[in-house]
Amino acid sequence: MSRSRFDNLLSTSIASVRVVLRKAFRSLVVFSGASAVFAGCAKNAPQDTWQPKGPNSKIIDDLQQPVFAVAGIIGLIVAVTVIYTLIKYRDRGQPIPEQTHGKPALEITLTIIPALILAVVAVFTFGAIFKLAKTDDTEMIINVTGQQWWWEYDYPVQNEFGITQPIITSGQLVMPVGTKVLLRETSRDVIHSYWIPALNGKRDAVPGRVQTLRLEADEPGIFAGQCTEFCGLSHANMRMEAVALSKEDFAKWVANQQAPYVSPAKDTLAKQGEEVFLNQCVRCHQVNGLARADGTPAIAAPDENVWSGAAPNLSHLMSRNTFAGAMFDLLSKQCRDEVWNAPSDVVGAKYLAGVTEECLNQKDLRAWLRNAPEVKPMYANPANLAVSNGKYRGMPYLALSEDDINKLVAYLVTLK
Amino acid sequence: MFSTGFKYFFGVTVLSVVALIMSVALFEKLALVGVAISFLIAVGALLAGLAAFTSDGTTRDANTSTSELVTQSMWPLISAVGVVFLALGLVTSSVVFFGGIVVLLAALSEWMVQAWSERASTDLSHNTAARKRLLNPIEFPVLAAVGLGVVIFSFSRIMLTVNKSTGAVLFIVAGALVLVAGTLFAIKPNLKRSVGAAVCVLGALGIVAGGVAGAVSGERVELVEAAAEGHFSHAECGPEESKYFDKLAEGTLSLRSNVSAIVVYQDGELIANVQGINSPQKSITVARSNPTNIVFRNATEGEFRLVAHLGHSVASDKTAAGESQDKSHQDTTCTQLVAPGAEQSMTFSIAKPSSAENAYYLYIAGSEDKKIEMVVP
Repeated sequence: MSRSRFDNLLSTSIASVRVVLRKAFRSLVVFSGASAVFAGCAKNAPQDTWQPKGPNSKIIDDLQQPVFAVAGIIGLIVAVTVIYTLIKYRDRGQPIPEQTHGKPALEITLTIIPALILAVVAVFTFGAIFKLAKTDDTEMIINVTGQQWWWEYDYPVQNEFGITQPIITSGQLVMPVGTKVLLRETSRDVIHSYWIPALNGKRDAVPGRVQTLRLEADEPGIFAGQCTEFCGLSHANMRMEAVALSKEDFAKWVANQQAPYVSPAKDTLAKQGEEVFLNQCVRCHQVNGLARADGTPAIAAPDENVWSGAAPNLSHLMSRNTFAGAMFDLLSKQCRDEVWNAPSDVVGAKYLAGVTEECLNQKDLRAWLRNAPEVKPMYANPANLAVSNGKYRGMPYLALSEDDINKLVAYLVTLK
Repeated sequence: MFSTGFKYFFGVTVLSVVALIMSVALFEKLALVGVAISFLIAVGALLAGLAAFTSDGTTRDANTSTSELVTQSMWPLISAVGVVFLALGLVTSSVVFFGGIVVLLAALSEWMVQAWSERASTDLSHNTAARKRLLNPIEFPVLAAVGLGVVIFSFSRIMLTVNKSTGAVLFIVAGALVLVAGTLFAIKPNLKRSVGAAVCVLGALGIVAGGVAGAVSGERVELVEAAAEGHFSHAECGPEESKYFDKLAEGTLSLRSNVSAIVVYQDGELIANVQGINSPQKSITVARSNPTNIVFRNATEGEFRLVAHLGHSVASDKTAAGESQDKSHQDTTCTQLVAPGAEQSMTFSIAKPSSAENAYYLYIAGSEDKKIEMVVP
């Protein structure tokens, strides 16, 4: 092959590659833009920040709507100007125009206008911050504790709500509608962040500190949330839900949570499951009222086995709709949809029905009991626990037999 | 031929390869060791290549002899001192050992740079400037930090030795002297540098001499006695027995935002104020396995301490016969005696849930009927 022929072939190949790359780049731009636009049309978006469901989130929404509009208009002006300039004055081999430096009048104007816009935004932002920080008219408090990778809620004694003994639960925060609820947040291990977008903004849960966050819901419903501070391996699976119930329904929920423990009837599969629970699960999980065969209370010892010193209290487990840090539903998909899609006047009744045997999501619950670290990433491999003094972060593999799993499922369903 | 630098780095590389081979043969998992040795091989090979390529980076004129020793060096002597500290540290304490390492590394670095700079060129002033340019940015801050550290440490020894009143007077005098000296330097800008340096050196030497005297004399009596009483461990929750434990309580607290409850003793009643709950409480909820901050506010006319009963634990005690025997101990922690109108905080963590058999409560020392239940769900 002659030298000139080789050069021609090389330049033709390079030109072809450039054309392909240019087409690929254009396709990527169009695809990315379309994805961004159409993502805004999603109907199933439970963590949509643009749909406030309570006064606190409305304060944020009232602030972000005009700011977003102003920022959008400015962004559009800048983008159109840049694109117009890029196309109109692109390099066509023309001589470089005369270079000038500095136009004081223009520069001062372009400094004052953004400063004024930001000053106006700041005035309304400060107002919103002070409104959101108000706590002196609190009507109810709930202590919220984050740990890898689930949220614990404890309700101190508050007689006006019928809470005559502390209630402890996890995954789902239950609250009465139209009530100013103050969350007192902290953490047992690393920094987490609590966020139910429909009800308020975010607040970090920091070990050793108590931070407050106000929640209030206008109507009964279930609102999804997500830990928003990276907190380790299963951060993405650290979810939560806030369940707002009418005051009557909330009173029923409180009464159920305070109901005494009922042991399964003798000679049933559930009773055998209780024995498995006492032998295995009670090392970390507390069920209030559960007693050993000799009558002594079964006290869990998560402080001896878990890095954070706590594991979810499973009393009245089936009154919740989720488990494993709200990563999995306790309800089957059909039953869950019935609760989530219920109108606000009946959602309370559907939620209070709890998890029946027919509605139980057996698949995920059994998978969890069979090998929890396989379905939710956790630091639970005994060979790698030297850094945490042999303590788990998450639930370990328990090597339960299928027979034990059957018994346990039968028992857990009784924890209404 | 091969330069000295090349031979050195080539040797390091070869030895590292041998070390890696031995590590592979001897250990199942190399992990960090393998990475470190591989890195050493790569760095050694790179430096050997650079040394060969640049002939050790020499800039000297090949026609000029540079074998003459330019200056005397104190670094071999200081290196020897470092080695002695290192050896002494092996049989005395780790502080001496690490001190020896620091001295040795510093001396070797200085020695190395000095040796290089003396042979950098035939121009002595250039060589001196090259050394200064390289080392002065490190030497000056380090020496300043060490000097200040010695002065501050000496001053602290003085303050721990003299009594409180003398300490306050000394502090005022020292501050006044610094102010006078500073003012003098400011209004007399033409003052000789040697005078300023002499004033500073004399002041520093005075403080160091005072510090040495203070260290020899030891801390003042009440500090020694308070340390012997366990003054800082808050171990005394019963009747007042020790001489110092309860005498230095702060009257106010800055802790405000992380309080689980403010416990107030007033009119013979103990009540708890919890953020968000409007009425006073006789029972509070405490999160399990998490540090809990309680503030105790004494709103009475007398001195009182708040005690937290944190359950019981079993520990082995030795009997009179020398046998160990399991015995149940009451776990408590407490505030110091809090003066009228004053407040103090207390932090604890409870791992087990409360129950009828395992109750937790806060009470006023000496009158256990004044109590607040702590419920751990």
